[in-house]
Amino acid sequence: MSTSILLLTAGLAAALSVAGAFKAPRLWLSFVLVAAMASLAAAVGTLAGGGVWELQSGWTIGGERVHFRLDGLSAFFLALLAVIGGTGAVYSQEYWTDAAHPRSAGPGRAWWSAMLTSMGMVLLCANGLHFLIAWELFAVTAFFLITLERRWREVRDAGWLYLGASHAGSLCLFGFFAMLAVRTGSWDLGPMRDRPELAPLFWLALAGFGLKAGLFPLHIWLPSAHANAPSHVSAILSGVAIKMGVYGLVRFSGWLPVPEAGGWVVAVLGVVSAVLGVAFALGQHDLKRLLAYHSVENVGIILIGLGFAMIAAHHGHPAWGALALAGGLLHVWNHGLFKGLLFLGAGSVLHATGTREMSRLGGLWKAMPWTAGCFGLGAAAISALPPLNGFVSEWLVYLGLFDAVNAHDTVAWLAIPAIVLLAMTGALALACFVKVCGIVFLGVPRSRAAESAHECGWRMRGAMLLLSGLCVAIGLVPVVFWPAVQRAVVEWRAVEAGVEAPLMALAGCNVVFAVLAAGAGAALWWHVTRRGIRRAPTWDCGYAAPTARMQYTAGSFAGIITEWFAWILQPARHRRAPEGVFPALARQDEHTPETVLEKVVQPAGSVVMTLSTAVRRLQHGRIQSYIVYLLLGLLVLSVLVFAWASSGSR
Amino acid sequence: MSSNLNLLIGIAMGLNLVALASGRLPSLIRAAAMQGVVIGVLPLLMHSEFHWLVAAVSAGTVVVKGFVIPSLLQRALRAAHIDREMEPLIGFIPSLLLGAAASIGAIGFAGALPLRPEHAGVLLVPGAFATVVCGFLLLMGRTKAISQVCGYLLLENGIFLFGLLLIRSTPLIVEAGILLDLTVAVFVIGIIVDRIQREFDTLDTRKLTALRE
Repeated sequence: MSTSILLLTAGLAAALSVAGAFKAPRLWLSFVLVAAMASLAAAVGTLAGGGVWELQSGWTIGGERVHFRLDGLSAFFLALLAVIGGTGAVYSQEYWTDAAHPRSAGPGRAWWSAMLTSMGMVLLCANGLHFLIAWELFAVTAFFLITLERRWREVRDAGWLYLGASHAGSLCLFGFFAMLAVRTGSWDLGPMRDRPELAPLFWLALAGFGLKAGLFPLHIWLPSAHANAPSHVSAILSGVAIKMGVYGLVRFSGWLPVPEAGGWVVAVLGVVSAVLGVAFALGQHDLKRLLAYHSVENVGIILIGLGFAMIAAHHGHPAWGALALAGGLLHVWNHGLFKGLLFLGAGSVLHATGTREMSRLGGLWKAMPWTAGCFGLGAAAISALPPLNGFVSEWLVYLGLFDAVNAHDTVAWLAIPAIVLLAMTGALALACFVKVCGIVFLGVPRSRAAESAHECGWRMRGAMLLLSGLCVAIGLVPVVFWPAVQRAVVEWRAVEAGVEAPLMALAGCNVVFAVLAAGAGAALWWHVTRRGIRRAPTWDCGYAAPTARMQYTAGSFAGIITEWFAWILQPARHRRAPEGVFPALARQDEHTPETVLEKVVQPAGSVVMTLSTAVRRLQHGRIQSYIVYLLLGLLVLSVLVFAWASSGSR
Repeated sequence: MSSNLNLLIGIAMGLNLVALASGRLPSLIRAAAMQGVVIGVLPLLMHSEFHWLVAAVSAGTVVVKGFVIPSLLQRALRAAHIDREMEPLIGFIPSLLLGAAASIGAIGFAGALPLRPEHAGVLLVPGAFATVVCGFLLLMGRTKAISQVCGYLLLENGIFLFGLLLIRSTPLIVEAGILLDLTVAVFVIGIIVDRIQREFDTLDTRKLTALRE
């Protein structure tokens, strides 16, 4: 009952916040926060209480009765939505102000409220038709948020690519829900695991939701959209919006029967996304684009968990499946938190310096200690270093995979390479974030913009601190959050056995780690303050006039690793080598293209365009030929009908 | 009885070929009008006993197709000062050959169809097919709007022949509907003729491509 009141409050507050978005930013913020807190309370209540909240109203939309449902799984995602939505709203108050963006600040706030509401609707709707409506609203509102700065061409291109890709996904989902409705005779959604004929529909769901989630070959829209959106929008896109795709996959792999191969495909796609996501991230020079590729990687890790859980479902639900799923789901939260944090940090850097290009930054930690600290913490968390939250969830996935190996089943053939590649992913992610933190925050400023950087204000800082605090909390006391994960796992396919993990031991280790790290930090600080810092030039090969631009660049730092992946990254290199004894001008630049987009999707698209242009020549305006078309069409149809009739009569 | 019927349908099929072969517009109109009169008489022959409804259909068809529409077309012709179809898209000889092939093909095709025994002996079905195809040939192969109207007339005559198969069950409504369609079509074409004439000083429908977008 209280859940109804809380959700109603959240809905009303979200609606009212739209009204205040244009003229009264503070009013908007307070309404958004009320909505976030109310929905967070509803989600926490459901996760803690254990019941399923359902509302079947007499109202109809599009001829279907309104049916809302909040269970452990949707509440799990709703909690993440509320946290990131509220935090991002606070952050945007300072980051995207009316003074700096007079034209887009007001609409940005309104679209923010609309997007949060539509994502909440996606989570709550238990009717296929309404799910589709909410999904479409969510896709469109995200488009308007991505293109807030639409006077720049690249922003418009990114928005257009996003819109196209997400509608390709929506098309698959229209097919999915329509065929589901045809085969079950109703648009109502709910558990229907005893209908094996529904299993093939899973492939449509995988394509539709996978596009939104940013699975490796389907991630084409993700980097440019995340890079070009305002940073608080990037945070919610990466933290929550792509998780809606994950939610769809988890939800419908739980409610519907899945084909036997489904779990294997999802797990393999997860491994591929994880490894290639981080490989592409290493090749990026644009801070936000790099973070976007890490989203591909982390979605991969989440899907490894889901894939193994789906394989386990076909093996009679052994414990390793539940463990892997628990790891994946906890990683949904964790990735939402630390990736939100990292994007907010990147936004703070962008706010202070006006550039996302890493090779123009450097030395920012002196000017922006809070941002540098929070970003560093997020970087450690995303690299799955203990004692932070990323370690906890990846550890659970590892546990699930190790137990799968121990099960001595065919699944071990997948689990062993998955473990190896997951470990490699973690190492590469660490290398990538060493690169980011080193290039952006350490060293000396490489450009005027980086020199004149300033720390952000309390609202941006507060938002980052809140997310950092949550990252630390999940790392140090995972036991507090564990029941929620258990609820979501049990809800997935109604597995009674539940899931157990030795979290107390892990938490103990993490606390010891944290104490040791704090001790080491304190000792270092004491050492530095007591003995002072000696400044001297680095060894410079005898060159007498080093400049700030002679520091390691992002490209050179990651050069060795990107060379390993050159077969898929296909880096574009332009080089003019120094010549002679006194070389005049020499240059080298290298950048990693959107390989999948430029080498696969665009050629395919141009083939389609050529064909369409050729077909368009049929429309020339000569009535005589149109009559020929009619006659030919009629002839073909009658031949078909005759063939049909004669084959039917035989 | 049946031989009279077949004779008239044979004449109608011959008029198809005349229409396809005629390069002058007045003779084309005349061929279409004569065909209208010929098939207008057919309903009377199909029934041995006299029925006022059938007589009304017959008279209406003869008057509208044989006299009203042709005279409208003649007037349009005089107003536009044209006489010849100068540049047909399908030449006169090829369209004549195609029309002949279509007539033969129609007879063969009708033989393959599972017709009712009372329709199997007459040329009604093949005649209808041949006339429809010839109408289409005129529509596809000619550029002047007036020739196209004649194509529509032939097409409609073919459909009318099909309609005769059903005349006992649904006579008046079918025929009234078809006549209404045709009259509207002729009026529309008349307006188009007028417009093209004023705009481009010609009746060539190829000029209409400028309006495609």
